[in-house]
Amino acid sequence: MEILLQLVYSGIALGMIYAVIAFGYQLTFQTSDTLNFGQGDALMLGAMVGLTLVNMGMNYWMMLPLVIVFGLIQGGVVERIAVRPAIKIKSEFGWIMSTIALGIIFKNVAENIWGRDDLKFPSPLPESPIKLFGANVLPMEILVVVGAVLMMLAVEFFNRKTIYGKAVVATFNDRDAAKLMGINTGLVITFSYALSSATAAFAGALIAPLTLTGATMGSVLGLKAFAVAIIGGLTSGMGIIVGGIILGVAETTTGFYLSTGYKDVPGLVLLLLVLAYKPAGLFGKSAIKKV
Amino acid sequence: MMNRKTLFAAVIGLALLAGVPLFTANSYYVHMVITIMIYAILLYGLDIVVGYTGQVSLGHAGLFGVGSYTAGVLFMKLGAPLWVIIPASIGVTAAFGALLALPALRVTGPYLAMVTLAFGTIIQILINEMTFLTEGPLGITIPKPSLFGQKLSEQGFYWLVFALMVLSLVVVHRILKSQLGRAFEALRGSPVASDCMGVSVYRYKVYAFVISAGFAGLAGCLYAYSEQYISPNTYNFELTVLFLLAVIMGGRKTRSGALLGAAIIVILPKLLDDLELFRIVASSLAVLISVGAVVGVLRKMTTPKAMAIPVIGTIALAGFSFWLESITDWRLSIFGLMILFVVYYLQDGIVGFARSLFARKSPAADSVSVDGLDTSRDAVMMAAKAGTHETGTDLLVANGVLMQFGGLKAINQVDLRIKRGTIHGLIGPNGSGKSTMMNVLTGIYVPTAGSIVFAGRSVVGRTSSDIALSGIARTFQNVQLFGEMTALQNVQVGLHHTFDSNILDVSLHTPRYKREEKAAIERGMGLLNFVGLGDLATEEARNLPYGKQRLLEIARALALDPQLLLLDEPAAGLTAPDIKVLINIIRKIRDHGITVILIEHHMDVVMSICDAVSVLDFGQKIAEGKPAEVQADEKVIEAYLGGTAT
Repeated sequence: MEILLQLVYSGIALGMIYAVIAFGYQLTFQTSDTLNFGQGDALMLGAMVGLTLVNMGMNYWMMLPLVIVFGLIQGGVVERIAVRPAIKIKSEFGWIMSTIALGIIFKNVAENIWGRDDLKFPSPLPESPIKLFGANVLPMEILVVVGAVLMMLAVEFFNRKTIYGKAVVATFNDRDAAKLMGINTGLVITFSYALSSATAAFAGALIAPLTLTGATMGSVLGLKAFAVAIIGGLTSGMGIIVGGIILGVAETTTGFYLSTGYKDVPGLVLLLLVLAYKPAGLFGKSAIKKV
Repeated sequence: MMNRKTLFAAVIGLALLAGVPLFTANSYYVHMVITIMIYAILLYGLDIVVGYTGQVSLGHAGLFGVGSYTAGVLFMKLGAPLWVIIPASIGVTAAFGALLALPALRVTGPYLAMVTLAFGTIIQILINEMTFLTEGPLGITIPKPSLFGQKLSEQGFYWLVFALMVLSLVVVHRILKSQLGRAFEALRGSPVASDCMGVSVYRYKVYAFVISAGFAGLAGCLYAYSEQYISPNTYNFELTVLFLLAVIMGGRKTRSGALLGAAIIVILPKLLDDLELFRIVASSLAVLISVGAVVGVLRKMTTPKAMAIPVIGTIALAGFSFWLESITDWRLSIFGLMILFVVYYLQDGIVGFARSLFARKSPAADSVSVDGLDTSRDAVMMAAKAGTHETGTDLLVANGVLMQFGGLKAINQVDLRIKRGTIHGLIGPNGSGKSTMMNVLTGIYVPTAGSIVFAGRSVVGRTSSDIALSGIARTFQNVQLFGEMTALQNVQVGLHHTFDSNILDVSLHTPRYKREEKAAIERGMGLLNFVGLGDLATEEARNLPYGKQRLLEIARALALDPQLLLLDEPAAGLTAPDIKVLINIIRKIRDHGITVILIEHHMDVVMSICDAVSVLDFGQKIAEGKPAEVQADEKVIEAYLGGTAT
């Protein structure tokens, strides 16, 4: 029982990371109907940049805002190079392929800069577990949950309370109408990509002390976070947190009871099943197709 | 149907390819060409999914792996011979393709890409973990196969692969030129219209994936023999992306493009091992692009702004190549850059680009010869299977139809009775629910409540393609043609139901297939002549003027041999003379015994040809009767002109 509870704790921490990445998918999908297939690589870059900063002697907490800034820039670059031209020529194939291409390039560049081996990220908090309801939990896991929730709340607050956020929400609702109201929707889309990558980079810096850091850490994370985004529905905020936790717990328990080699399978199978039976997600509303 | 010159060039090219082992004894080169041909087999299949149905598959490396491992496991566990292993690999992989298609059925675009990616990842995990079957990361060793009791040499194996590659080429080419290929292309053009032409999107998506997977399986199996050792790491995400790069770089929808693409992804990594060579290639590319840009700008074919990025990009690449110590580690970045370049500057691939340079017509354009065909026969006449019934009986009866979207009742308790052999007008102000009614009748929406009976059978709950095949054809308010297909091919998609040929008939060109294909060209041309588009048969639908597109939609709908034809604002955007032609065509259609429901805002059209008219307003039927009666109805006048009822 204690082991199970412990697995649930680490599952929740992992799940919150998925939720943050999935949140990033939602941001761009809502403004532009596009996704960054290299989202996982944005996370990896965040972790790598964070590690470099920490190794240069910077304090972990000082590093976090810098990683977010780096993520903002990286997301903006992705949008300008890979997404904007494709939106212009209305090519779905175009943005899928070009975000994949950029993802590969980022991964390859990271391999060449930081090497192919997984690196250890020093933990900013004590690594001895504390007791919570009779099971062990790492302080870092609590930080991950708190950080993820804060990040999502901050973006939501920005969207709801500031005038710039209102422009983003307006673009969410109706891109063409927002454009006619004088909102620079192109800029909003760039901004949503910047935010999306920033959340991913932040998630990378959060999760890195719990796992190992390496150039390939992003690929599967990005895919599983997509599963979460689908399970939660690409338009539902609450859904991704629930979906993330479901997946995270499913994964830690599979890893423990079956084999760590299979730990990625539940998420992927869940993705296939949800798309086969309920493409709009468990929490999303299905759109009415117009003819 | 293939152009004689192309055929000649293809034969010469293949003959040269067959002779490679005679020119060189160097097994390094022989093995390289074998790999190219194996990849080409896979790419033919991948092109069905990517080029024709227009979907991104990131799962083909996984399918390739399934093929390899089927071969490897069968050999290791059972010592199975080649003639068992090849069909088994194809069969097993095709089954996996069907499995992949199941979740892919309901989704498209990015979702489908993610589904296939998840699928590919699962396959790789399974190969890694199921050590009892696959030996896991250790991999499987498999020797060159034996044929007729003799172990094949590298040369012998070369010719085996060559023969299978040519066979695949012919089969794929035939499939794609047949009704199956047209169905695949139609999915890309407009899924909704495909369904409404009786070409089930679900079914043909599965077919496309299964056929595509079959080729991936064949390629995978040959790859296992060729490498003589397989391990899970080969079948990773990078390989999938490489395959996609090959398809789009070579050129979608061409077989030569697949071969070229395969050659690029096999040879390029080897080139990249040689830094000196890469520097030369990068520099000459930079020079080439710069010169091309200057010429292009001078000839006003392009603008300096559009050319800035490729020029700067290639020059930067050349500079980068001189800064590098080793290029091998940067292989993936180079591929990534190539994808970006191809996606934005070479959308039709190298083959497509070469074609446009020589300003040849698109391949579809020269593929129709009507010599010896009787296209003057009345094509619609054959459509009128409704003619045996008496006119005046009810063809379609809708009772209490309710269509609710959330809180909005788009159609509210509407009854509709359509009599056989009549033209029934359906009018009403914008947003009154007319088009929704069409969508309910054709199965695009399932009504919230109410019953709809067509020719004695309920329509509710059946799929669009099933309803279409039972005799309801339609046109669309926003034209839904298959843009990249010719006018004739569009109509032929409507004629899909006249084909009984299966994939074997198509591959072997059996008499049955030849007969059906000939009949389809004949009927198709006849229908085009009926709406006056006979001269434009080889024009791509997207290039037709708007009015002609509307007429083409009618011809395509008639190809279904419908009993009931739904026309959704056929006169919208037409000029006055065009409208006259249209009125004539609609009358002729009715005279052939086909019942017509006409949604139209042009009142003169409605009043002059309709036998009965129903009027909708805010989802409710407010009047019905003869055109003149309806015109005088107070409620109708109020609905159109406003004011309060007294």
